[in-house]
Amino acid sequence: MAIENLIWGYIYPNEAEIQWSILIVLYPYITGLVAGAFIASSLYHVFGKQEIKPVARFALLTALAFLLVATMPLLTHLGHPERGIEIMFTPHLTSAMSGFGYIYSFYLIIVLLEIWLSFREDIVKNALKFKGWKKLMYSSLALFSYDISEKSLHDDEKFARKLAIIGIPSAAFLHGYVGFIFGGIKANPWWSTPLMPIIFLMSAIVSGIALLILLYLTASWLRKKAINYKTLFSLAHYLWIFLILDVALEMLEIISMKYESLEEIEIIDRLLSDKIATTFYGVQLTLGIFVPFVLLILVMVMKNREKLKTLMVAVSAILVVIGVFAMRWNVVIGGQEISKSLSGTMTYVPVFFSQEGVLPAMIILILPFIILTVLTFILPPWKDMDAEME
Amino acid sequence: MQPHLKRAFIILILVIIGFLFVRSFIVPGSFGQYGWYRGDSVAELRELPVGYAGSASCSDVNCHNSVYTIWVNSSHKTVNCETCHGPSQNHVTDTRTMPTPANDTREFCGMCHFKRTARPADFPQIDPDTHGENLQCTYCHNPHKPWFL
Repeated sequence: MAIENLIWGYIYPNEAEIQWSILIVLYPYITGLVAGAFIASSLYHVFGKQEIKPVARFALLTALAFLLVATMPLLTHLGHPERGIEIMFTPHLTSAMSGFGYIYSFYLIIVLLEIWLSFREDIVKNALKFKGWKKLMYSSLALFSYDISEKSLHDDEKFARKLAIIGIPSAAFLHGYVGFIFGGIKANPWWSTPLMPIIFLMSAIVSGIALLILLYLTASWLRKKAINYKTLFSLAHYLWIFLILDVALEMLEIISMKYESLEEIEIIDRLLSDKIATTFYGVQLTLGIFVPFVLLILVMVMKNREKLKTLMVAVSAILVVIGVFAMRWNVVIGGQEISKSLSGTMTYVPVFFSQEGVLPAMIILILPFIILTVLTFILPPWKDMDAEME
Repeated sequence: MQPHLKRAFIILILVIIGFLFVRSFIVPGSFGQYGWYRGDSVAELRELPVGYAGSASCSDVNCHNSVYTIWVNSSHKTVNCETCHGPSQNHVTDTRTMPTPANDTREFCGMCHFKRTARPADFPQIDPDTHGENLQCTYCHNPHKPWFL
């Protein structure tokens, strides 16, 4: 399409091409799933919610699988992945982005330690049980220390809880910080709000819990095991609560923008009524929040009928995951579709085959599921799920 | 502290030391000397051979003075000789070395003159699909004095 048709009104010359593509949409999306999955697991690890226990370790593995690909959208977008480490060698502290490498690494260490401690008993048992390369693998994972006495495991648990207490703020920090990268851009009225980190965080928790529900259902279905309804509905309950917080904050932002009606309101109105109308009102708010909200209320008030309720939770979770993706899209792409002149708009046209295309985005989004599958072969978290059922 | 935790922390400390060690020889010594870049690069760039001689060096009476006089009063006067004719320092020091032939493709002229939304409306622009029947621009236009057809 000719570029003239993608532009309305007056824009600055360097705005005609939208630089932050679908890959940059994936970046906060994947980071959000990480933070959400971790916080879901800490419902058990820190707050001691026993009903979450069957999926707590699985949630940690999910967080790790997504965390390992969290930097990939950025590295693919920028090219030259071998230079990525330079952000840590010489961080330029006037840029918000310079902290990402450190925050990411710190969080990675926390997640790794957390997983290691919660799986250590299994690792040691496997190391003693297996022969050959498997023994070597599990022994190295156990760091050749095989103490799994009652006291040792108890100490581990105490330490893991302390770690998770550090972990929650750092998960919140990791994702809130991604929100800050957008929220701190003063030139862009659609992004620049101090609410942005907390909005990102809430939608991250929402998407993380929804993803965990979907993965739990898929895993149960693939393993042909019965679903623990108590866990499922409890997750659904948390999803509902965080959904309310999420929508309240998102609406608060829009409503205060509308009420204040600053100079940028005209272009924001145009953005919402024209450029991202479908993805904002249609996908993000209606499909992503309103429909799951109603479905989840029904799930909570309905008695029995477990099959139907499970289906409703599954549909809600799918819609939430899509809705949060739409939210990231509306922020990242929407913010670039309005000109900084405040009197023109651009249009983003995704391409399929290119470095910035939909294809690499799909590959990056599929990758964590493959990593998760591999992880569950090395460290099977199923024992918790099955134990509760008996 | 339990032995396995001790080992885990030793590994963590080793990773951090490893990071600092790698950093110490990957980040150049002169980094940050003047700003957020390698200070030595300033001296290195200064030592690079000069490629461009500047438009004024073409104006010598014994050289290209006539075409220079036409160009210097034309609307192309902001486009330097070497923009189209290429770097000419070698040619200026030794006239037997010829510079690369001037780039006179449509695409090259189009870098400034193909229609773009972002260009000022009164800047001369053409639609390459409808203008000039795919002939070279210089077939009709004189690049040294554009409106001198």
